[in-house]
Amino acid sequence: MALWIQILPGSSEPIYVQVAEQISKAIARGELASGDKLPAVRKLAAELVINPNTVARAYSRLEQAGLVTTKTGSGTYVSDPKLRRHDAADINILTDRMDTLITRGLNLGLEEQDIIAMFKGRLAKFVNKKAERRKND
Amino acid sequence: MRFLALLRKELRECLPWMLLVAIAFFAVGGFLLRAEAYYGGYRHYSRLSPGTVVDHYQLTYYQTLNLTGPWLFCLSIGLGLVLGVRHFWIPHFTRTWPFLLHRSVSRKSILAAKLTAGTIAFVISLGTVWVALYWYASRPEVFAIPPTVRVFIEGWIFIMLGLVAYLGTALSGLSTANWYTTKIFGLVLATVIIVTTLSQWTLAGIFTSIAVSVAILLSQIFDTFLRREF
Amino acid sequence: MIETVLETEGLTKYYGSTLAVDHLDLKIPQGCICGFVGRNGAGKTTAIKLMLGLLRPTAGSSRLLGCDSQQLKPAIRQRIGYVTEGHRLFRWMSIAELEKFQRSFFPKQWDDKFFADMIEYFNLPRRRKIKHLSNGERAQVSLALALAPNPELLIMDDPTLGLDAAIRRQFLEGMIELIMRQGRTVLFSSHILGDVERVSDRIVVIDKGVLRANCSLEEFRAAVKKVILSFADSTPAEVDIDGLLHCRRSEKELELILVSTTDDHIGKWADRTGAERYHIVKMNLEDQFIEFTAPPGRKKLFRWEEI
Repeated sequence: MALWIQILPGSSEPIYVQVAEQISKAIARGELASGDKLPAVRKLAAELVINPNTVARAYSRLEQAGLVTTKTGSGTYVSDPKLRRHDAADINILTDRMDTLITRGLNLGLEEQDIIAMFKGRLAKFVNKKAERRKND
Repeated sequence: MRFLALLRKELRECLPWMLLVAIAFFAVGGFLLRAEAYYGGYRHYSRLSPGTVVDHYQLTYYQTLNLTGPWLFCLSIGLGLVLGVRHFWIPHFTRTWPFLLHRSVSRKSILAAKLTAGTIAFVISLGTVWVALYWYASRPEVFAIPPTVRVFIEGWIFIMLGLVAYLGTALSGLSTANWYTTKIFGLVLATVIIVTTLSQWTLAGIFTSIAVSVAILLSQIFDTFLRREF
Repeated sequence: MIETVLETEGLTKYYGSTLAVDHLDLKIPQGCICGFVGRNGAGKTTAIKLMLGLLRPTAGSSRLLGCDSQQLKPAIRQRIGYVTEGHRLFRWMSIAELEKFQRSFFPKQWDDKFFADMIEYFNLPRRRKIKHLSNGERAQVSLALALAPNPELLIMDDPTLGLDAAIRRQFLEGMIELIMRQGRTVLFSSHILGDVERVSDRIVVIDKGVLRANCSLEEFRAAVKKVILSFADSTPAEVDIDGLLHCRRSEKELELILVSTTDDHIGKWADRTGAERYHIVKMNLEDQFIEFTAPPGRKKLFRWEEI
């Protein structure tokens, strides 16, 4: 599994957040597809040289976000995107973040089309990877 | 098993000094006795005025201890000081006390191992050489009159004085007080015992004073070691 | 129920008239890696030596694995690993001799293969004497000696002081490796907060001999906050917010260091005092530690002259 997790001690983000963010990014980019198994907590802890409790905390954060499910005695798996739910609050957070980005972009003097083009370009990076991965499977 | 490991470690720390002292005493003592046997044979008789009654002990004392005694004494005291420093001072400077003390044995055993090693060091280095020299001097073809047992015992007294010096150094090394208060007590007691022993020659008196001083030093050493901080 | 492996009660130590450890009440549960941090001279080494019975407390007591520190039985010491400050080992011994020496105190638990593997992994020559090893190599030997008997409780006194990044990482790996075994606990003091953050799940902060924090690392990370408030005209004369640790003010800004104050509470307080804006700054562990242990009223040492 190509899981490149980088730990930055001394960052203002706690390590468990760093691990969770990087895994969720890998899921979004399709590097981890639904049904993929995440490394065992102890294995990942030994590999990254971090406390096993930190890994467990990262996994439970992902589980709370609905990105993974834990099957007792078997391990942690990436959940099916169709089964993931989001509510109005989640959408609100998303639009807030988008507003911030759009504000920045407009203040930099970018045109509407530029921003849309940039957004599409970035999005393609995630979606293409997913498609590629599906083809390989 | 654990005590043996400690003992081995402490003995190994004494080893270079043991060898040095043993070789030095063997070389010097052996040379002096041999020279005396070959060339000095009747030197002592000739210096005596006619009619003097010479006792057996005095005669053999001149033949053996008068020659080797000062060497044995100095080497013994020297060994005592050096081993005392090695066992009880150096660990402060190398800061190895914490590592040594965190053992799965009692503190008492750690100290006992050190003291046992120190005693064994004396017996092995100076003791065996002294036995060898005494045996050499007792052979009839070396000296016509073999040395008496008392001469042999007096050699051992010098060795015991070295042990007193060792214990005195140990106590001073362990004491956490200031030099001008009780820290110097061990060395002072050892010096007093050594000096008084040299100036009195009844065996009973010597053994008593050595035994008492060793008992005082040992009890103080154990007391200090078990109570002190490292 | 999780067992407490290390416990101190009112542990106090004076050196002459200097107070080194001041009424330390500490409980470390089994199964964690506990980072023990404090500034130089905060009393970490003294506290560790008191716990191991090398020093006598002026008052109070401590217990390791349920046994009083001042009367640690050989059977208890056998279950505790101790890595001394500076990795001071017998200088005249070779690595092989030291291994033999150490092994004889752990007749049943010593793991020959583990020790051999570690020495091989570190690429250390077994016949080399300790005095001929570099500081880093000596530290590696010391780590292998401490881990090979598989201790239930491992106490390390600033084990990574002065070591390069690679050897420091090996110490962290060693701790992780040990903690993965059933029921092991590690307490290590360190000045490198990045290391502490990486492997610890618990943090103990001591300052001038006083215990300042003993909680999970996450709690500490969440608890210490910096808030910057801007005011339209002047800052309020009185800052009465809960959990206030430090307050620095400039003409129109207040910089507060808060402990255990909720974001909600900060917002309400900001509203009440009429702040124009406020901003909760995310701090990293090092900044949190520095702010947390800073003496009150501290100013920055160097200041740029305004041109």
